[in-house]
Amino acid sequence: MILRSIGMENFGRFQGQTIEFRRGMNLVIGPNEAGKSTLAEAVPAVLFGTDRLEQYKPWGRNACSASLFFEGGGRTIQVKRDLVTDQVELVERDDLYRHLSQFSGKAPLRGRSSSCREYRQLLESLLGVADEKLFRATYFFGHQPQDWSGDELAQNLRTLVSGTAEADYADILDRLLDEHFTLTRSNPWGRDKQRDREYEDVCRKLEELGPVAAVPVFVEIDDSTEITARINAMSAELADDRIEYEKGLRYVDHVRSRQVATAATDSQTPVDETSQAAGAAGQHDLREQLAAAGLPENPPVNLQELLAEAAEIRQEMSALQQPYAALGSREKKIPGVPWTALLSVVGLLTLVTGAAWWRQLYPLPVASIAVIVVACFAGFCGWRFWRRRTAQAECSTERGKLDQKKSAVQDRQSELSERCEALGLPSSPIDLVRLHKLVSSNRELLDNYWGLPAAERSGDGVAEQLAPQARDDKGNAGPRGDNQPADEVQELEARLAEFAADMDGKEARLQELKAQLEQRASAQQASTGGEGTDLLQRKHELEARIRLLRKAIDLLVAAVDEFGRSHLVQLNQEAGKLFAKITAGRYAAIRLNENMVPSIQVQGRRWMPAENFSKGTVDALYLALRTALTKIRDDGRSLPLMLDDPFVHLDQKRLATALNMIDLASVDGQLVLFSHNLELGKRAARERWHVVPLDGGTVETSTEVEGGEHAGQLHLL
Amino acid sequence: MTGLLESYQIKTLTREESVRGVLVRMVLEQAEGADPEEVKLLEQALQLLLTRFQAMEGDAS
Repeated sequence: MILRSIGMENFGRFQGQTIEFRRGMNLVIGPNEAGKSTLAEAVPAVLFGTDRLEQYKPWGRNACSASLFFEGGGRTIQVKRDLVTDQVELVERDDLYRHLSQFSGKAPLRGRSSSCREYRQLLESLLGVADEKLFRATYFFGHQPQDWSGDELAQNLRTLVSGTAEADYADILDRLLDEHFTLTRSNPWGRDKQRDREYEDVCRKLEELGPVAAVPVFVEIDDSTEITARINAMSAELADDRIEYEKGLRYVDHVRSRQVATAATDSQTPVDETSQAAGAAGQHDLREQLAAAGLPENPPVNLQELLAEAAEIRQEMSALQQPYAALGSREKKIPGVPWTALLSVVGLLTLVTGAAWWRQLYPLPVASIAVIVVACFAGFCGWRFWRRRTAQAECSTERGKLDQKKSAVQDRQSELSERCEALGLPSSPIDLVRLHKLVSSNRELLDNYWGLPAAERSGDGVAEQLAPQARDDKGNAGPRGDNQPADEVQELEARLAEFAADMDGKEARLQELKAQLEQRASAQQASTGGEGTDLLQRKHELEARIRLLRKAIDLLVAAVDEFGRSHLVQLNQEAGKLFAKITAGRYAAIRLNENMVPSIQVQGRRWMPAENFSKGTVDALYLALRTALTKIRDDGRSLPLMLDDPFVHLDQKRLATALNMIDLASVDGQLVLFSHNLELGKRAARERWHVVPLDGGTVETSTEVEGGEHAGQLHLL
Repeated sequence: MTGLLESYQIKTLTREESVRGVLVRMVLEQAEGADPEEVKLLEQALQLLLTRFQAMEGDAS
């Protein structure tokens, strides 16, 4: 692809001008400040955009645009960019001026929009490059130093193969290694450094702080969390206990008042108002206590019998599980019949017999033996089959019996459930088990409830209405106090005292836990909360950074090795061919080592470092390498190589040699040489280069037809 | 695969005949089938290196 022209509108000192170029060598010549560098920068500015708009946009103007026109392979590509808005118009056409592809949209230098992405994809497919830095590293050839030191040349080459115009992969590697070894002395790629670094210092300080500090923070947090959870659980338990204790106290009062009421009833035949009220209050308390204990409000008198029956059913059900399990095990152990083995034996013996008949090798004895073997095996299988059937029948009978028993137990369970439901009790076996436990633990409460007259139990706090019935009951059954143990209150008080002591123990344990938590918190604050935590955090940060640096270093080293394996041979070959051409076969080959340090093959097939050669030779070598790298990178698309006064330091003799080089290098493509050296005009006229003279804002382009008789005649001359 | 490794920028770099192009291709190969923690580390390392190569902005910390 050849750059045909650059059009510029309010771009630097160029106002509505178009500069044309040709295939081969192009010389843009003009004094300093004539706009050579601006012209050179127009190419990447149009292709990729720029962040140095102020350098190109004339002061006081609000417009700045430029366009590039490429041609080659029967296609033309025109790229226009408004550098103020970054609006880009790209059109690819064929020979018949038909559109092959086009783009219109904004594509700033560091844009990430889908439009920008689309543009770069198109640019890459058409010109082979979509990255500004890679473009500069590939096609731009700037001022060269007066004298190359060997390392400078290698560094420059490393930068170019890195894919950037500024960063050298070896330098990046050195910086990563430096950063790594400022953090730790540990060296996974060789011997450890002698002096401890920050990571080792942090580890040592953590060790000095002791094991408490060395324990990771999250363990401390987990421990405290556990203690806090235990404190919360114990506090809740204590709160429940206090409620129970209050209930107990109320119950003791209730029993005491009931005893007093009973004594009063014994001494007074008529029921007075006070005793009725006390009875109603006691009944109400009992109901509350029953409800608080999770028992039904009106538990039937035969509740214990029902629960005993439920327990019995449950036991019967669980007793059935074992024979079921044993039966299942027996069924699994019933041996199977080896039908497959029998068929295999029959098949095998048939084959053997057939073979014997075929070969007439004792056919009769073989057939007899086969029949006998098959008969024996079949008999064995038949016996196993009979055994299996018998065992299965036995198991089936037994399973039937067990099913009958299970069915009977389930019927009993259903009948019990119905009875329970009728009494307002839970009906499921699980609920009955729970109820059984509640009844066992609240036996006395229930006894007290059941000890009440039936009328009081069945009523709902309407003691006055039921008073006559109560009196009748008392008259028939005798006073309630006869069934009550005399020392009930003392016993209840003793149990309450025991309960209170238990509560005190829990309270003490709770305080102990709280103190432990506070101590842990203060200890953590003292040991790890300050310096310890910071050190631990820093240690983790350092470990993460070291891990990252090591991975990055390993990746970069591996990438450089891989690049050397995959590209260095090709680069050496391409550059060697060009170098031989430039030096007229004086030097046949060049070689880059893994650090991109070049050597040149001299007579006797010896290799000598490039720095031992003259400046002219080194320049030729550099140009050859640059051109070869460009060829490898651009995949035959051959964008122009832009040389911006690269030989500014050369004397006349060396300059002549260098010009010979670039003239040769331009044969296969296009070179644009920007120079302020007016003497080059003579050479341009002689060599018929295309010349673009710049004269402080006046652009005069040669108008000869490419390859014509007067092509490249320098206007100034 | 995470965001950076699937980005357009990385896909573009894979086609580059340069050290950083080889580097990106190598990281993508290693990330294939690696566990998420390793992928994360690879991504951070690649970001760090590309930043040093000035191929992208920001540092992996």
